[in-house]
Amino acid sequence: MTRTRSTCAAALAALATLVPFASHADWKPTKPVEFIVHTGPGGGNDLLARAVVTMLEQEKLVPVRMQVINKPGGGGAVAAAAVADRKDDPNTVGFITSVWLAGPLTAKEQKITVFDLKPIAQLLREPAVFAVRADSPYKTLKDFVEAAKAHPGQLKQSGGSITSRDNIVREQLEHATGAKWAYVSFPGGGERLAALLGGHVDIMVIEPQEAGENVRAGKLRVLAQVSETRLPKWADIATLKEAGYDIHPTPQIRGVVGPPEMPAEAVKYWIETFDKLHRSASWKKYVEQNELEDAFVSGDAFRKSMEQTSKELREQFVKAGIKVTR
Amino acid sequence: MDILTGLMHGFQVATTPLSLGMCMLGVVLGTVIGVLPGLGPPATIAMLLPLTMKLDPTGAMIMLAGIYYGAKYGGSTTSILLNVPGESSSVVTCIDGYQMARKGRAGPALGMAAIASFIAGTFGVVALMLVAPALAQVSLAFSSPEYFALMVMGLAMVVLLAGDSLVKALLSMLVGLWISGIGSDLFTATSRFTFGSVQLLGGIEFILVAIGVFAVGEVLANIEPQDPPKMLPVPKGIRNLLPTWDDMKRCRFAFVNGSVVGFIIGVLPGAGATIASFISYGIEKAVSRHPEEFGKGAIEGVAAPEGSNNAETGGALVPLLTLGIPGSGTTAILLAALTLWGFKPGPLFIHDQPQLFWGLVASMYIGNVVLLILNLPLVALFAQLLRVPAYVLQPLILGVSIVGVYAADASMFQLGLLALFGLVGYAMRKLDFPTAPLVLGLVLGDPMERALRQSLMMSQGHLSILLRPIPATLLVFAALLLAVPLFRKVNAIRVQVLEREEA
Amino acid sequence: MKPLARGGDFWSGLVLAALGAWIVSEAHAWDYMTDEGPGPGFFPMWYGSLMVALSLVLVARTALKPPTREAQAAMNWKEIARALTCWVAFVACVGLMNVLGFAVSFALLTWFIVAYMARRPHREAAAIAIAGSAVFYGIFSYLLDLSLPAGYLF
Repeated sequence: MTRTRSTCAAALAALATLVPFASHADWKPTKPVEFIVHTGPGGGNDLLARAVVTMLEQEKLVPVRMQVINKPGGGGAVAAAAVADRKDDPNTVGFITSVWLAGPLTAKEQKITVFDLKPIAQLLREPAVFAVRADSPYKTLKDFVEAAKAHPGQLKQSGGSITSRDNIVREQLEHATGAKWAYVSFPGGGERLAALLGGHVDIMVIEPQEAGENVRAGKLRVLAQVSETRLPKWADIATLKEAGYDIHPTPQIRGVVGPPEMPAEAVKYWIETFDKLHRSASWKKYVEQNELEDAFVSGDAFRKSMEQTSKELREQFVKAGIKVTR
Repeated sequence: MDILTGLMHGFQVATTPLSLGMCMLGVVLGTVIGVLPGLGPPATIAMLLPLTMKLDPTGAMIMLAGIYYGAKYGGSTTSILLNVPGESSSVVTCIDGYQMARKGRAGPALGMAAIASFIAGTFGVVALMLVAPALAQVSLAFSSPEYFALMVMGLAMVVLLAGDSLVKALLSMLVGLWISGIGSDLFTATSRFTFGSVQLLGGIEFILVAIGVFAVGEVLANIEPQDPPKMLPVPKGIRNLLPTWDDMKRCRFAFVNGSVVGFIIGVLPGAGATIASFISYGIEKAVSRHPEEFGKGAIEGVAAPEGSNNAETGGALVPLLTLGIPGSGTTAILLAALTLWGFKPGPLFIHDQPQLFWGLVASMYIGNVVLLILNLPLVALFAQLLRVPAYVLQPLILGVSIVGVYAADASMFQLGLLALFGLVGYAMRKLDFPTAPLVLGLVLGDPMERALRQSLMMSQGHLSILLRPIPATLLVFAALLLAVPLFRKVNAIRVQVLEREEA
Repeated sequence: MKPLARGGDFWSGLVLAALGAWIVSEAHAWDYMTDEGPGPGFFPMWYGSLMVALSLVLVARTALKPPTREAQAAMNWKEIARALTCWVAFVACVGLMNVLGFAVSFALLTWFIVAYMARRPHREAAAIAIAGSAVFYGIFSYLLDLSLPAGYLF
């Protein structure tokens, strides 16, 4: 049952007056902690938060109960507003993804952006690969690009919304090579993969974990990886740079933030906790199983990198002809 | 391994005490969740995921699957008794199920829902077992043009749901289409009809509109007269509480309809149980000898959609277990669960993990039987709910509606929307606008628009992509569906003219 | 409950025509057709226009066939007032939830319906209100650990 915000705020205000005197006592949460996510139950963000809860419990890093609160809607806008509403509550943490950076650029309605919140840490980067059907004539990314140049607009890529990484990488590649191919948006990963496997589109950008089994069964072929360095499981697949395309795809990240006035003690606590988490065995196992990249960046450095990413995204959107409202 | 060996192996796995226990737990939990609006399988399974880490994967999968199809059994309960859809896919059941309850036939309605769910659910498992890999390959041929044709066929059902005034039904549907488009456009990130509100960026949830228009609207309508019309008393005796043989005979086709339509649509990743229930309802009405009874308490109108939403579970597992493609919210979480346990669903899954696949299939047979045995006596229990006076039921329905909406999305804004749609539902009833087409438009509008735009993107603007074999067939079918009532009307006029001539 | 039949069609037709016209005007601001296919304005333009056309048909039909006497009688304003009062109570209940919490607001709504709408004795109303609220709270909040709107009371 949710506690009343007013009593919480009053208690915190009282405690806050003691902070200057308690500089030696490290803050620890004493009330249940809430992780706010921007998807419904079962969405990517929700599952990550639940996995984090399990791991934090396993590693005994947090002494209180943790609960995942779903605030879906508006591509992260509703969740961002929910986190901001918590003002200085140290027991609230928001789980963000790159969607929180892209969303505000196109949605005027979104009043609160991730930059109004306190950055805690970046946790992960999500790599991706370019995949085609195993029976397609393209053996390398170059083959595909050449074919696209020869038949502009005829080849098709399936992917998520027009502001997603899938499309941004495509736009960057198109600008770098002068090739043009169509982009078809599907809201769900399952549909995108089905479209590729069924021969309705020619290529897609997919997370390595989703593609793994179909590659193993010989239905898909991976052309290149969208990451800076080669992933351990895909050691013989070239990265974009190695394939000859010097583009820096905007990274797809996952991280944690706190409410705008979260006290410094709490921010410090959470940074340390997540730092310990990312060094733990269960985290390493999780990252390996899900084929992600561990990329821990905390506090101000995190904020700077988000600002950089946001700037790059904005440039890409403008180049792609997407209407930006900020 | 071939099917018979696999199945025997599967039953061995599924009948161990642990597996049976997990199956029971899953189906009971599923039924409870289905009964309660607002709580659905995705949320529950997500919450249980950490617990499942400590269990044996096969057992855990059996339990989670039990929750999935168990919820489909329970979803019809509040739909029939209170006109509050327990699950998105149970919305269609409200249409005839609630009317049956008002006529004192709540028991047969609930019983038929359970029976149809059992028949179709079992069909779904059998089909999963027999044709999974082959069907998965065939289903890949289905893409945006085919989905578009399917949605058009679905919308053609409006004609069948029209009742007296086709113009009003179409207007209702158009409003539904409009509401469906509220939010951020997938292809261009443009905000449409969001009135500047961040809460509307993600669109309006379908179940919220359904609960508002159906449940809250109905309460408001019922509260009008000082002395509310009493619902016909629930008859006593088990015989009167279950469907009669006549009922079962009438529903013969509905069982087949629900099973096949539900399973096939379940296999398609882009279409879900709600669409399946609408289409099977439409088909049932189209081929019925007494179509005018639909909407007023036709038992086939309960059997067909309830069957199809259960067969859909079997169908949805096909792309999940043979291609690693999740077709719906629940299968997406099941995929996450399987990945968490270290399995990777894909083309090699059945081959690599036979005990998991066959164990699951066998336990689904068992689970469906358990659910039937569990639900039939519950019919008697639940039907008693209707003996409560109207003035107790009305706050109950309003309370359940609030909790249902708030549990899905905890925001006062959503509750405000619920109140708004309640008023809309009341106004529609008052002004004699049929409510089912609104819901239909809402369910199909956005997917249909997406499918059309995706198709045209694939074909670079050539509409001819819609003339591929499957879409063409479906579009012709849609045209036929539209033609049937027209034909009937023409026939009726012809008969009238003949009678006048003879007189 | 009696539907309003013909009389209502005239006004509902006008309202829907207005809605349709507004949809079309909003859709004008978006792209109708882009290189890659229909834009965000395509569908709204179509269903908006259809809405205007069909609602005008509705209006025309009513204008040509004035409502019958019995249809006029179906405008039972007193009963409509009852329903609308109940709706206002529902809105108030939802509005108060932030302040009073689910349990109290819901109890108030229940009491209102039983005591005023159904004219049952006050004691019965209070009993049902308290029992109902407790049952809801017990099942949904305690047993199932769902979050219910919480206010300053609980």
